[in-house]
Amino acid sequence: MKEIYIGVDVGSVSTNVVAIDRNVNVLFKTYIRTNGQPIDSVKEGVKQLKETLGDVEVLGVGTTGSGRQLAAAILGADVVKNEITAHATATIHFVPDVRTIFEIGGQDSKIIIIKDQMVVDFAMNTVCAAGTGSFLDHQAERLKIPIEQFGDLALSATRPVRIAGRCTVFAESDMIAKQQFGFSKAEIIRGLCDALVRNYLNNVGRGKNLEAPFVFQGGVAANMGIRAAFERELQTKIIVPEHFNVMGAIGSAILAKDYIEKTKARTNFRGFDAADIDFSTSSFECKGCSNRCEVVKVSMDGKVIAMWGDRCGKWTNSL
Amino acid sequence: MKVSFPYMGSAIVYKKLFEFLEHEVIMPPKPSQRTMDLGVKYSPEFACIPLKMVMGTYLEAIEKGAKVLVTSGGHGPCRAGFYGDTHRNILKSLGYDDVEIIIFDAPQDNWRAFFRNVQKIRNGVPWHKVINRMYTLYRFVQKLDELEKMVQKIRPYEVNKGQTTQIWNQIQEKFDKIKTRKQLYKVYEECKQMLLNIPTREVDEKDRIKVGIVGEIYVVMESSINFGIEEILGNLGVEVERSLYLFEWINDNLVPWILRPKRFKEIIKKGQRYIKILIGGHAVETVGHIIDFKERGFDGIVHLMPFACLPELVTQSLIPKISKEVDIPILSLPIDEQTGKANMLTRIEAFVDLLRNRKRGKTKEVFIDNIQEHVQEERVVMV
Ligand code: SF4
Repeated sequence: MKEIYIGVDVGSVSTNVVAIDRNVNVLFKTYIRTNGQPIDSVKEGVKQLKETLGDVEVLGVGTTGSGRQLAAAILGADVVKNEITAHATATIHFVPDVRTIFEIGGQDSKIIIIKDQMVVDFAMNTVCAAGTGSFLDHQAERLKIPIEQFGDLALSATRPVRIAGRCTVFAESDMIAKQQFGFSKAEIIRGLCDALVRNYLNNVGRGKNLEAPFVFQGGVAANMGIRAAFERELQTKIIVPEHFNVMGAIGSAILAKDYIEKTKARTNFRGFDAADIDFSTSSFECKGCSNRCEVVKVSMDGKVIAMWGDRCGKWTNSL
Repeated sequence: MKVSFPYMGSAIVYKKLFEFLEHEVIMPPKPSQRTMDLGVKYSPEFACIPLKMVMGTYLEAIEKGAKVLVTSGGHGPCRAGFYGDTHRNILKSLGYDDVEIIIFDAPQDNWRAFFRNVQKIRNGVPWHKVINRMYTLYRFVQKLDELEKMVQKIRPYEVNKGQTTQIWNQIQEKFDKIKTRKQLYKVYEECKQMLLNIPTREVDEKDRIKVGIVGEIYVVMESSINFGIEEILGNLGVEVERSLYLFEWINDNLVPWILRPKRFKEIIKKGQRYIKILIGGHAVETVGHIIDFKERGFDGIVHLMPFACLPELVTQSLIPKISKEVDIPILSLPIDEQTGKANMLTRIEAFVDLLRNRKRGKTKEVFIDNIQEHVQEERVVMV
């Protein structure tokens, strides 16, 4: 029977599930829209995994992403880690000499700086989305161009044009102006790709020492136009790893693998039946003291299996 | 007078102050989502978060019957100096004409106004009593801060998760009941013992991680707005110390000049290495404390800033340079009503991973040890 480690990355936009073997070969990967239903998307991902791989023995499970705690409760994870550490772990595995990681997803983007295979600095976008995938989505919609064609069109442009892409509002009026000046759609799209990269590097990368080799991952890395814009801006080649859109999940699988191998622990994995179990989450305000914590409760078939959010441990320790 | 005040940090101290002056105290509720909603609704959109939260607190205090709101003013060229007046105008526009706001600006800026205010809130209590009770309050703050500093050093190593926080809550309740100086010293000793009795695990010096928290006073002091960052760090096994404690703030700002401890001046001098002129807020102190923490052997700094806070924006833009020259990792966290907890936690956890790596070398080993130690501890996460 195949022995595997599962990694799950639950973000606000997508839920990714991967399976790796002992040598970190990726045996399975899937990318599911979270659609505000993290429980369902995690279950769906694991079900697909089971259907694709057939009989497997799960040695360990790791979760990451903003829904990592919830996913961990549902699956019975061994390792729960933040996205930055998870992304860095996977990237270092595939590109050992990496110095800078660009990670651009739908809503979030990050820059991670690595030295001697160690995270030495990082940054994430806060309020501004002008350096993320959703910026491109908006603009593609405005120009009535399917996002899939975006990259190829951008590459076909011959002249550079500068679009003021600080935010959607400016970008729109500038796009209209530039079209009136006679620039083609392709050229404007290329300008938008440049604007996204510029914003991303200015906002997220502000004050950071960016050094090659550069690795570019996350959903937006599929876009050839953006890749080209990065290469223009940085004047050097950037690496897009094979599994660019599920690196977080792979990283958490690797962390689970290392943890299990080092500690020789048995996995907490609940088994594939978890996909059929009825999970629900609720939250309540504890009135035990003036902190009034918002306590989150996850139940399995009506029985409470995890609680968090209490600052004093009253609920967490009650299980 | 039915008196209330902004809720910030150990608010029982302000409550004691007005109790000692024999006012009827309306205790404002600890800021909550409702406070935020109220504050955001009635404040200018581009105001920074402390103004909004305090606005919300005032409205909640007024609901509970407060007629007088006492607050401190700003100092130097930052908009905090206009907070009191802005709040006053907003309250007026909402029709609360009978609510008075008393603003204490730094005494050295205008001694006369300061004493006029003191007369107002002295409430006719004879001077000798005022002085005696203020001295008690001074010691009250000192002792409470000492205990809080102990809490911050014990929490990361507690054996029973959450116990330190629970005891800290009890301590605050006990302090709330104190009336005299004698009681104070007795309760202090009891509380200290309670903290020392908390079972902790032995951790090697080289594995201890210390983080200093710096930034604008409100977001540094008030846990409800910074997501309880001290507890988050504590639960991740990190010792913390803030740049600001009430006792030190009183020493630096209210105690007569000659009696002030030298520390503050030194911090300012350190800060002036990077910021030469007065730009308001806590910018110079923030920088000074970063350098000071480094000199005292801390491993990293968390810099809290209200989104769009001008002085802290200046600090933030200096941070890459300072971090490099002083050689200490610094994490800047802008705080706003739109700041999400999940996003913030990711940064904090990753930052702690980074600090551990830095201290111990190799990546993987550290992650795994870290996981082993904290597998159940990453429980403060929101869905
Ligand atoms: S969970 Fe604990 S800290 Fe939070 S409100 Fe309840 S008693 Fe207070």
